Amino acid sequence: MVPLLNRPASRTLIAIGQRLIFGLLTALTAVTITFFALRLAAGDPLSSLLAQGLATPLQAEVLRVSLGLDQPLTTQYLDFLSSLLKGNLGNSLYTNRSVITVIMEQFQHTASLALLSLCIAVILGLGLGIIAAWRKGSNRSWLAETISGLATSLPVSFTGILTIMILSLSIRTISGSRVLLSSKELLLPALVLGFASSGAIARVIQSGLEESMLAPYMLAAKARGINKESRLLWHALRPSLPPAISLIALEASFLFAGTVVTETVFSRPGLGRLLVTSILQGDYPIAQGIVVLAALFYTFSQSLADILAFISDPRLEKAN
Amino acid sequence: MKSQPTTTLSLIWAILVILVAFAAPILAPFNPRQPVSDPLSIPSTTTVLGTDSLGRDLLSRLLYGARYSLGLSILAASITILAGGLIGLLAATFPGFPDRIILWILNSSLAIPGLLLAMVLVAGLGPGTSTVIIAVGIWGIPGFARISRTMFKQTLSMGYVDAVRALGGNWVWNSWFHILPNAGFRLIPLATVHVAWAFIGATTLTFLGFAGDPSLPEWGSMLNAGRLHLVQMPHLAILPGAAMSFTILSIHNLGTWLARISKPYSVH
Amino acid sequence: MLSLFVGLSSCKNGKSQIESISYGLTLSPSGIDPHINASAELGIPLSSVYDTLVFQDPDTGDFVPGLAQSWTISPDALTYTFELREDVVFHDGTDFNANSVEANLNYIVNPDHLSQKAVIMLGPFEQVEVLSEFSVAIHLTAPYAPLLDSLSQVYLGMASPSALGKWGPTEYQFHQVGTGPYRFVEYIPNDHLILRKNPDYAWAPSVYQQNIAAIDEIIFKFYEDPATRSFALETGEIDIIGEIPPQEVDRLLETGEFEFQPVPIPGQPTQFFFNSSKSPTSDARLREILITALDRQFIVDTIFGAYSPVAEGPLSHQLFSYTTTSPYPDYDPDFAVEQLDELGWRIEPGSRVRSKDETPLELSIVAPPWGSNSEVAQLMSATWENLGIQVSLEIAPGFGPLRQLQDSGEYNLIGINFFGTDPDLLSSFYSTDGFYNWSGQSDAELDKLLSQAKAATHDAQERQLYYSQISEMIREQALLIPIRDYVNLVVVRSDIIGLHFSPQGWFPYLIDLRRAP
Repeated sequence: MVPLLNRPASRTLIAIGQRLIFGLLTALTAVTITFFALRLAAGDPLSSLLAQGLATPLQAEVLRVSLGLDQPLTTQYLDFLSSLLKGNLGNSLYTNRSVITVIMEQFQHTASLALLSLCIAVILGLGLGIIAAWRKGSNRSWLAETISGLATSLPVSFTGILTIMILSLSIRTISGSRVLLSSKELLLPALVLGFASSGAIARVIQSGLEESMLAPYMLAAKARGINKESRLLWHALRPSLPPAISLIALEASFLFAGTVVTETVFSRPGLGRLLVTSILQGDYPIAQGIVVLAALFYTFSQSLADILAFISDPRLEKAN
Repeated sequence: MKSQPTTTLSLIWAILVILVAFAAPILAPFNPRQPVSDPLSIPSTTTVLGTDSLGRDLLSRLLYGARYSLGLSILAASITILAGGLIGLLAATFPGFPDRIILWILNSSLAIPGLLLAMVLVAGLGPGTSTVIIAVGIWGIPGFARISRTMFKQTLSMGYVDAVRALGGNWVWNSWFHILPNAGFRLIPLATVHVAWAFIGATTLTFLGFAGDPSLPEWGSMLNAGRLHLVQMPHLAILPGAAMSFTILSIHNLGTWLARISKPYSVH
Repeated sequence: MLSLFVGLSSCKNGKSQIESISYGLTLSPSGIDPHINASAELGIPLSSVYDTLVFQDPDTGDFVPGLAQSWTISPDALTYTFELREDVVFHDGTDFNANSVEANLNYIVNPDHLSQKAVIMLGPFEQVEVLSEFSVAIHLTAPYAPLLDSLSQVYLGMASPSALGKWGPTEYQFHQVGTGPYRFVEYIPNDHLILRKNPDYAWAPSVYQQNIAAIDEIIFKFYEDPATRSFALETGEIDIIGEIPPQEVDRLLETGEFEFQPVPIPGQPTQFFFNSSKSPTSDARLREILITALDRQFIVDTIFGAYSPVAEGPLSHQLFSYTTTSPYPDYDPDFAVEQLDELGWRIEPGSRVRSKDETPLELSIVAPPWGSNSEVAQLMSATWENLGIQVSLEIAPGFGPLRQLQDSGEYNLIGINFFGTDPDLLSSFYSTDGFYNWSGQSDAELDKLLSQAKAATHDAQERQLYYSQISEMIREQALLIPIRDYVNLVVVRSDIIGLHFSPQGWFPYLIDLRRAP
């Protein structure tokens, strides 16, 4: 990281610190909004428990007091924040197990899916973006643009179903398709999800490349006799990376939500399906825990992307 | 220009969907909610695309589906555009502290995954088409408000708003009066793209079974129901899925195209 | 990659490998402690982890010895005395005796444990008394005919008291210890559950055909989405699964790789209750007309194919106490139209909806998402719409939302049905203070009959008579639209033999599963 060395270390540290504090405050606001939005929308968290006869009114009263639901909303909010700081998200209304434990059980499934999808999205997005910018107006560029357009527009529900259909037709025709089947567990869902996210990345890369291709330093590079491939891949690509990085961070949290549909279509365990079941059962603390964690994850990845962008692009220092 | 045929195709498809949405009762050969033939029957002269698992005419359901799916997403997008636009306008006309507070809240709300929040909303309010509209509408507000804020700010920084301000009178009212038509025009492409997002959002929620009434001929619900018969009758899922995708794709393309032609000075 | 795969599969066929099968579950319960949770799905694996004091013979319906070698019921039907087997050992090595029974029942009735089903199944339970090391008495406060039926089910299965004490009500579900033919190994919610053969099992009841399990390991996986079930069978992910969509059955059989086993589930049929406390379904004549207007045979044929019979009463055909009531009206749309006109619900010129005194004829249907209730409701509303009735349909996405809609009282019809081998399940649906009195009716005579039937411990014939009177009253008041007797469509890989089920229909006797040589 050459640009890092061009700056005094103290200034870099201050800038990173600023971004971290900013990220923390954003997370706090997001958690606050989540808490109040959910509480207003979901109503009495115990009503469904009562309605299902899983608790008598007396038991519900006891539970209400032990959950602090008899306190004013602001007190509940402060309690929620202080236990969140201690890493405690409460207990499931149904099984009384700790929300963190329940979430952690499912986390690995969603994390592996999201990570692989992200890799696929980045590789596919970079590829499509570069091809589209390579020779604007050529057939190949048009094709790349169309594919990335499709990627942004096709709903995951539909691409997922198409994939399953192709798979289920192929197991009847292609011999040795068991190999293909093993991919159903992780690779195919990740492809479906990764494809959906690749479109936006491709677009950012493409427009970044097109912009920097017109920049004076590219002319200079051309004058120095550097061939087009190197110019595009080295000189032009680098300045278009920071926006791509922050977009990738954005996509990472989009992936988190995208797993809801993918996990349903492919019948995979994970946080998405946990959220759906807990919403349907009215297990309020679990639903809240998942949304809060997703929000924290998002702000964390955004701050990280911010810092990475800061390090990789010296121009951002002036804008700071 | 290679993108011309794409734009033309998108325009044709979008107009087609809108026409079908209006004329569905005339075009549809059967009542989309009534069984007309054996369940899962193959295409025939009476039921051109065959029937679904309850014996309802697939063609009629697809045609009515244009009405419901498009209706859901346009209504949801209107909530987003009106509320988001208003917030953006407020932020732009009150620079300084109010603007920064609004921007802060918007940025923070963007951290909450929209689909998850929408699902919780639908569960809390009870499933149904109106809750789907509300949830999808709210889902888009922070993003749209942020974009429209930028747009309004740019318009405000143009010279003539200062000129209006110099004229005196209620400057807030005056600037709204002048920036709204101008910025509103520039917001059209963004709003169009947003309809495509709302379309994805609404059909995702109905696909997950939050539409309330499953006999409603709506593309997301149809895609979900068709999943059961993917091997024998793949068209039950493929057709509504394709209709959804084409519609999203063409609205999206039209939005991009509008953005391009409304920026006459940008280099191309 | 390919060679790795070939390697793996050849390994699977190797003789030294343990015999293993995988079983698809169709619901992912929120908790699987049978003493606490209520899901029927948990019984599929866990019925083989626990033994019960008695077992019910699937062929005769009689109760046969299990962990209890014999039992007596006092003449006043308030005390049940059980003589226990003396050779039974829990999976954790502790001995089974009268104290274990005491500990289990007290665990269930402990109010802090919030038992959802087992405690209800114990009825008017007073206390459990240890008479000697292998003799135990259960005392009731009132006669309760269903008690043996309850004691034959996994919810009252005998768990190791030391494991219960060690883990407590929240964590025990992950560390279950019983005495059954299979041991509980591991449970990851939404993912899988593993059972392994209990090699020390030596107390098989007569309902089992084998004395010891043949399959070493059974892995349970979850397939909540019906669209994924047949796919999972075809890809070899699972060997057995129930609740296959009817349209998929024939296609699966064509492949020649599978056997089909339809299993009737006793209890209530797929059914819709009329809300008798909300207009317009408060009118019994209108309710009768609405039933007449429905072609129930057509509904069953369309949705369930050839595999389920049309239901004709509040209890399914398989229940021993099923008694034919006066038949439900035959489908007669013309007669229904005539009757609607006669009742004053007429189509005024210029309107498409019937009305009476300016009030339009509107019905609101609420249905749960499972078990094809949604499809039935869609066909019902299509039929009634044809007659000029305005119908609104809402599918609640889960049980919680369903109860919330029911709670609001704003419905005319609602679908719900429970399964069970004892007809007493009717009392929570039809008695005035019943928890599932969703038809909102209150009839002193019906209440009396239900409690008399519940108390007729010693006279099975008398009990049966009560239930036929009860069914008759429900029929007369047209409180119910019975649709079809529930049949679980189970598909199993052809090389697996010995699959049969307990009288409840859902729970397989896993001990008898074998692979064909």
